[in-house]
Amino acid sequence: MIYLDNAATTLRKPPQVEAAVLEALRSCANPGRGGHAAAARAEEKVYGTRRLAARLFGLEPEQICFTANATEGLNIALRTLVKPGTRVVISGLEHNAVTRTLAGLGVEPVVAAAPLFDAAAWTEAFAEALRPGAAACVCLQVSNVFGAVLPVAELGALCAARGVPLVVDASQSAGLLPVRPADWGAAFVAMPGHKGLLGPQGTGLLLCLEQPAPLRFGGTGSRSEDRRMPEELPDRLEAGTLNVPGIAGLGAGLRWLLARDPSALRRNETALLRRAARGLEGLGARVWTGPGQTGVLSFRLPGRDCETAASAYAARGIALRAGLHCAPLAHRTGGTLPEGTLRLSVSPLTRESEIEGFLSVSEALIRKK
Amino acid sequence: MYDMYLTVRSVTRGQKGRDVLSRAGLRCALVRAPRAIAPGGCAYALALRRGDEARALRLLERAGVPVEGCWISGADGRFERVGP
Repeated sequence: MIYLDNAATTLRKPPQVEAAVLEALRSCANPGRGGHAAAARAEEKVYGTRRLAARLFGLEPEQICFTANATEGLNIALRTLVKPGTRVVISGLEHNAVTRTLAGLGVEPVVAAAPLFDAAAWTEAFAEALRPGAAACVCLQVSNVFGAVLPVAELGALCAARGVPLVVDASQSAGLLPVRPADWGAAFVAMPGHKGLLGPQGTGLLLCLEQPAPLRFGGTGSRSEDRRMPEELPDRLEAGTLNVPGIAGLGAGLRWLLARDPSALRRNETALLRRAARGLEGLGARVWTGPGQTGVLSFRLPGRDCETAASAYAARGIALRAGLHCAPLAHRTGGTLPEGTLRLSVSPLTRESEIEGFLSVSEALIRKK
Repeated sequence: MYDMYLTVRSVTRGQKGRDVLSRAGLRCALVRAPRAIAPGGCAYALALRRGDEARALRLLERAGVPVEGCWISGADGRFERVGP
């Protein structure tokens, strides 16, 4: 199989990730729940991953909170900041992890939108929409549909000037682009562990620069006589038993990334994406591409419905994703509703030969039609 | 043998504190706090040798590791709070 659905999850991981998961399964007990060797080993695994993440994102270990995925992190961040009826500004590229959470909170957000790959226009759109007193501004760093990069640093400056907390969804950027929450002045940054960070599914991180409200309540292995959740991070957000094998695997993914030159990884992924875009355009496909595009490419084959085309690719051993990618708002902004797009997404482990294989199958599918 | 215990708010703070002290050359261990020095239940402590506490407290404060209590353990196994 040629796997090009890395924006959903990176299926191919460095071998160290699997080894770390298995080792933790075999040797780690419950962290923070006992003084014996197996519990202490688990505590060290968890802390090791926390420390690596802190290093990658320029924070302190206690600011790194483990979640099950980016969605959980976004739920925590939004439920901390947003009350029903408050003003919330979001980008027109947000995922349902943001829009459904806001709907659940009874909030109709103000949507800032601009042409997909025009960073200056996005900054202007946010400058117009953001007003002092807004409960939050939510913005992804990279669109999971189009790979467009939003100007998060500029947005951070706008938010700081207006006193609005910034929440960043780094689901598609973590591991690919620099994620610097302190430089951005972000309140929270949420991300999965199983995409660009190369960890197992069921892992995620919430980077906390403000005090969050807990989403889950329960045991933390600390201050047990207090009926309230601890104020202290990360315990405040980590009630219940942690996913230690997953966190150990995530640590291995982070270690793999930290041992490499991030700009070289980025150059390689950009080259793969450009090759795919040029090849598809040459075959007559409709391709959404532009400056700064990162990790993700949306396209359509001429005369073919996206879902049918994805099935045809799958039958030929190519894994892509079709449809709305859980981001109908992004498709509205990009003008690709109601059908959606086919989406190709790469990872640091995608090979050039796989892009060539994908293009060969694309050519065959277009000719067959 | 360790006879000075600095209690901390969480295992994460304890691990960070242990790393800070170890890097500075102070011998220490992160331990589950004995019940007598964990009035809220379930806590961790950095165990040190008596005499190292003043330096340890300075290093921990600088690193942002709040210390909840500073305890000496006696030969009879009892603890006496000596700060902060």
